Amino acid sequence: MTARKSGSRLETEIERCRSECQWDKIPELVRQLSAKLISNDDLGELLLGECKLQTYLKENPLKQGASPRGPRPKLVEVRKHLTAALDRGNLKADYLQEASLLMAKLCYVEGEYRDALGHYGKVSLDEMQLVGAPVYRLSMIAEAYATKGLCLEKVPAASPSLSNKNTGSPSSVKSTSDREQEIITCYEKSGDIALLYLQEAEKVRIHKSGIQNRSPKPGPTSQDIELGYFLETGLQRAHVIHFKNGNLTRGVGRFREILRAVESRTTQSLRMTIARQLAEILLRGMCEQSYWSPLEDPPTVSPLDDPTRQGHVLSKNYSLSRRPRVYSGENLFCPQENTEEALLLLLISESMANRDAVLSRIPEHNNDRIISLQSASVVYDLLTIALGRRGQYEMLSECLERAMKFAFEEFHLWYQLALSLMAAGKSARAVKVLKECIRLKPDEPTIPLLAVKLCVGPLHWLDEGESFAKMVIDMGEKAAEFRAKGYLAVGLVYSLKATDASLRSTQEEYQRKALGAFQRAQSLSPTDHLAAFYLALQLAVSRQIPEALGYVRQALQLQGDDVHSLHLLALLLSAQKHYHDALNIIEMALSEYPENFNLLYTKVKLESMCRGPEEALLTCKHMLQIWKSFYNLTNPSDSGRGSSLLDRAITDRRQLNAMTLPDFSDPETGSSSSRSGSEQLSPVSPSTISTFSSPLSSPMSSPLSSPSSPVFTFQPLPPPISPSFLCPTPLPPTPTRTRTQSFSTHITLRQLSSTSSVHATSIAASRVEQALSEVASSLQSSAPKQGPLHPWMTLAQIWLHAAEVYISMSKPAEAAACTQEASNLFPTSHNVLYMRGQIAELRGNMDEAKRWYEEALSINPTHVKSMQRLGLILHQLQRYSLSEKVLRDAVQVNSTAHDVWNSLGEVLQAQGNTAAATECFITALELEASSPILPFTIIPRAL
Amino acid sequence: MLAMDQGVVEEWLSEFKTLPDSAISSYAASLKDKAALVPALYKVIRENYSDLLEPVCHQLFEFYRSSQPQLQRFVLQFLPELLWSLLSVSAARDPHTSGCIEALLLGIYNLEIVDKDGQSKILSFTVPSLSKPSVYHEPSAIGSIALTEGALANHGLSRVVYSGPHLQRENFTAQNRFEVLTFLLLCYNAALSYMTPTSLQSLCQLSSRVCICGYPRQQMRRYKGINTRMTVTSDFLVQLITGIHYALCNGEVEMGSKALDDVLYRAQLELFPEPLLVGNAIKSTLHGAALKSNNKEGARSIQVEITPTSSRISRNAVTSLSIRGHRWKRHGKTNAVDLGSPDELMDISEMDEGLWPGGVGPDVTPPTITISNSVTTLNLGAKAMKKCRFGSRCSKDKDKDASPLATGRAASESAELSDRRLTLTSSQSVPKAGALTSLTRTASAVFSRSFEQVASGVVPVSSSHTAAEASRYSCSLQEEGMGYLIPASNHTQRSPSISVHFGSDL
Repeated sequence: MTARKSGSRLETEIERCRSECQWDKIPELVRQLSAKLISNDDLGELLLGECKLQTYLKENPLKQGASPRGPRPKLVEVRKHLTAALDRGNLKADYLQEASLLMAKLCYVEGEYRDALGHYGKVSLDEMQLVGAPVYRLSMIAEAYATKGLCLEKVPAASPSLSNKNTGSPSSVKSTSDREQEIITCYEKSGDIALLYLQEAEKVRIHKSGIQNRSPKPGPTSQDIELGYFLETGLQRAHVIHFKNGNLTRGVGRFREILRAVESRTTQSLRMTIARQLAEILLRGMCEQSYWSPLEDPPTVSPLDDPTRQGHVLSKNYSLSRRPRVYSGENLFCPQENTEEALLLLLISESMANRDAVLSRIPEHNNDRIISLQSASVVYDLLTIALGRRGQYEMLSECLERAMKFAFEEFHLWYQLALSLMAAGKSARAVKVLKECIRLKPDEPTIPLLAVKLCVGPLHWLDEGESFAKMVIDMGEKAAEFRAKGYLAVGLVYSLKATDASLRSTQEEYQRKALGAFQRAQSLSPTDHLAAFYLALQLAVSRQIPEALGYVRQALQLQGDDVHSLHLLALLLSAQKHYHDALNIIEMALSEYPENFNLLYTKVKLESMCRGPEEALLTCKHMLQIWKSFYNLTNPSDSGRGSSLLDRAITDRRQLNAMTLPDFSDPETGSSSSRSGSEQLSPVSPSTISTFSSPLSSPMSSPLSSPSSPVFTFQPLPPPISPSFLCPTPLPPTPTRTRTQSFSTHITLRQLSSTSSVHATSIAASRVEQALSEVASSLQSSAPKQGPLHPWMTLAQIWLHAAEVYISMSKPAEAAACTQEASNLFPTSHNVLYMRGQIAELRGNMDEAKRWYEEALSINPTHVKSMQRLGLILHQLQRYSLSEKVLRDAVQVNSTAHDVWNSLGEVLQAQGNTAAATECFITALELEASSPILPFTIIPRAL
Repeated sequence: MLAMDQGVVEEWLSEFKTLPDSAISSYAASLKDKAALVPALYKVIRENYSDLLEPVCHQLFEFYRSSQPQLQRFVLQFLPELLWSLLSVSAARDPHTSGCIEALLLGIYNLEIVDKDGQSKILSFTVPSLSKPSVYHEPSAIGSIALTEGALANHGLSRVVYSGPHLQRENFTAQNRFEVLTFLLLCYNAALSYMTPTSLQSLCQLSSRVCICGYPRQQMRRYKGINTRMTVTSDFLVQLITGIHYALCNGEVEMGSKALDDVLYRAQLELFPEPLLVGNAIKSTLHGAALKSNNKEGARSIQVEITPTSSRISRNAVTSLSIRGHRWKRHGKTNAVDLGSPDELMDISEMDEGLWPGGVGPDVTPPTITISNSVTTLNLGAKAMKKCRFGSRCSKDKDKDASPLATGRAASESAELSDRRLTLTSSQSVPKAGALTSLTRTASAVFSRSFEQVASGVVPVSSSHTAAEASRYSCSLQEEGMGYLIPASNHTQRSPSISVHFGSDL
């Protein structure tokens, strides 16, 4: 700075330094300036005064809420400079104004509010030019308005105030609300001009830094403008007053004005705060009906404003010659609803909060990290509230994933992520995250229970489920009310494992364990209907029908309209062959749950039994109507974004035809199927999923249990020997024990060697089946809605039921038509193929039937119905040993299928093995006596 | 019921009937002046067997049908009380079914589910997207932090239905009861700002009772009445929570927080994730903010303070932004492959550990490339890192703190997360410009590798991209990467960002 600058260049330099707040350079520049012209001395005084005042304020910043008090010795010099500049009066008008503003500011800093107002009176702030003004002057004017507002707040209104002079109003008593309005207007003007100043300052800086640094967010190295006390006050005080006065409308309006102004680097942090606060207000204090969009005028009367306060001004009543630039352009998104606006604001805040995530974990940055975590977690909590209200859990889970960079050892964020994943139906991932939550909070029983819920439900990870459930049980008394839930959970896991198990001993073992757990749960929480219900269900599955009836009645006493209890009651009655009573119960249940497909399937069965197939067909028709009205209308909005379900389903349908079965396992659970796949190979449970699912899927394909079926082999049987036949031990009944010794063991061994691979291939097929059978229950449950395939699966199921009824009426053409409908949806479903086999059989076309059954079995090698029919056909073809093999395999898969036992008996008899045949017949007879019209396992088991 | 209350109600009943249509709007405005009326109506609803209940319900339905917003809101204020009446009667299996309350609620429901033309109403909203300009932001200013799969899928605004269409209902069944009630609460929540404190209190009471009846907590709350459990659905609880949230923030602190606790208690027992999610979030946001129970009626507890506008986070803390700043800074330099100041190095390593999928795992194939600094630091391993940092200001502490961070973060950001960091990973693995052509090749190898990882999960990385079964991504990216990276060796500044964006758009 040795070379002297020419006058204009020097002035430019001074202007630049003032704009950039480089006060330390001013004295040197003033020295150069004074050396040029004596008339510059006054300007020099002004500049020196300004620079000393600013430096002082930088070193002793004013605090919000604390008022400045008394003259400071350091400021004496400032006053000297400014007085000198003002008194001589040689300054240009612009500079004179500046000097007055600085003087007023000094007065404020020294606590001389009246004097300050006096100075503002002389200047007439409103007339200062904003257009074409240098950047620093904008800041000065903004500060002046803020300071004036501060002074007005300090000076009591009642006293003859100096403000009368500058507004030129008569010195009559001004009402408080006018005064208040004046204050607010000062702050609002200050805020607007401050935003303008910051935008202009940024423009200058970007221009200066040139093109080499084009980044939208320059690194932290570049200099930030610091707002300082006055501008901060100017920007925020107005809305603070609005909210304090209960004028929400105006406060929200002010927030929006600030946010609509184009962002500058200095306002980023302010914008983040304000965006979050506005979102908070939108979520906490507004509702759809009291909302108005940012581009609309606010309503004249709003419930948001404190009615006790009069004289609210709803919109601003001043104008400025220049306003800050606002976001503009075509197709600007403008929210139309409070959640939309809150979401938009929160997404903006989130992006900023994310940017400020403190990643380093060194102790020095602990505080910073806590601050960044806090500001982010508030944003994420508000996002949760907003998206949760609208059921957008999928989007929420994506947002919360982004929060994970804050989440190290932060239980709240982990837990929220886990819950959002669960709500979004991303079960496998949810379980993983829940594990982390358990690690962070090992004493909380809800978390492992949530994990069991997923493991037992959509995931079918039974081993994992067992370990989670045991965690709850191990908590003992600490788990309090959740202890019973823990036993319930572990019971469910065992119950499902029993269904999956193919070795009879394991099956028995799990059934015993399940019963024990349910009993424990029931005794711990005798008022919980679920405990009683599952106990009843488990007893029913073990064919202890009278005991089961007792507990299901108990469950119904606790919860009279529980659909599953009613369903179980009906099935139990059907097992006792009280078909009419069962039908009555089903009809009663249907009056409460008219759209429950599970109940309707049972109804179809019972009707064709009691009232003939015509009635059953009517029910099928009714089901189709329900399906139509349900899915034409229903939009499970929580199954993700997208338009109506039907649109989605139709697009899915296009893929359906090309769908190959293994594709069904979605990527989410893909890992699970490979996991369980490896488990299947273990000798303990060689067929976990497949056998589990086949009884479940039988509602759509079990004509054999229907006596009216023309090919039904049990039809000539006399009515059950004793309806109250009691099976004291769980499966198998005692008489089979000896026989088991003779051939069952070697079958088992053979099974093990051959089925391990078979089971692995059938997993995909059975997953489809499993999903199919769960449709009905998932429709009504509050659990996250299943994928868009489910409506179509339900539809296919309805068609197959209709086909079955037609078969029982010996109408192959109609049955074929129904099956074709189902086949259009799922051409490769083994149930469809099985039904085709049935139709072929009805037409007397045994070869074709055999082919269909074989195809069904090639898709699902453990489909018991197909095995049984195939066995029968082979029997008719006099290929006894093959038939026997197939039937033995079928019995192995499902040992309670009495018709299979019966067929096996017939084959054995034909081979001359009368003793074994007799045992089979006896087993079949006993099983039939306690056999429900549809398997008990049709009732979903879930937490 | 006092005779006076009865008189008030009877007067109200007769007055509306004689009202000409033209006078309805002025009548609606005058309703709030009838101070004794609302408490009297509450009494009628609470006393289930009152003779007045039926005419009152009928008149409330007429009010609702008038489509006068003020009259509709007048009806809605009783909704929590009506819901409780309905639920308690059905829970107690009272033979006296509250038929007229059922009819009123179903009537309101059937009116609300259709629009003016009788078409099914579908409530939808637009999910805002940061990638579209709005009145509050410009996409360019947000930057490309969140180039997630989801963000790409939702490029643009999508309209989402959150309720409806609903079926007309003629009677309550166990199946549709909560569907109807949830929708009614949705209507109530849409008019929350207009609800009186009494109504909000009634909502809190309803929430508490529905959730705790029949559970051990009932004793704690000393509520005697029905003690059978009531079924609830997850959506119903979420709607209750929405109303409770408003009540909590608008004067009903005590009842509101009690109700919120009770709903959360029940949600835990039922293992419903949705209400737990929203309820936890509300509790957590209210945790810091001390809510004052305002004695003044109608006082809102929404207050804001002036907050400092400067960033509260100290400059030298490593943040997501500063990491990106580092990248920019390095791009600014030319050939200088310096391993930088220890500080910078540490920043990079932290970023790498967090972002490179499985980068910290022991089984990752060590890379063959050791040229550019971003790639080297990534794979130097802990020992080399220590060496680099040795002698830095606080090396010891840093090491201690950085290593648990590394494992912790790696654990937290499992491989599935990796694809969410697409931009960072890929751009960061682009070596410093000014490299040789061979370097560009390795760069594209790294490039494609990172994408392969993204595409195929945690599949172990093969050392050369030619050996790898090049996925669709890696192939095309490799080409693109070459295309942009080769000129980049001459024009040092533009390569990384351009190629990255090109790549990720594919």
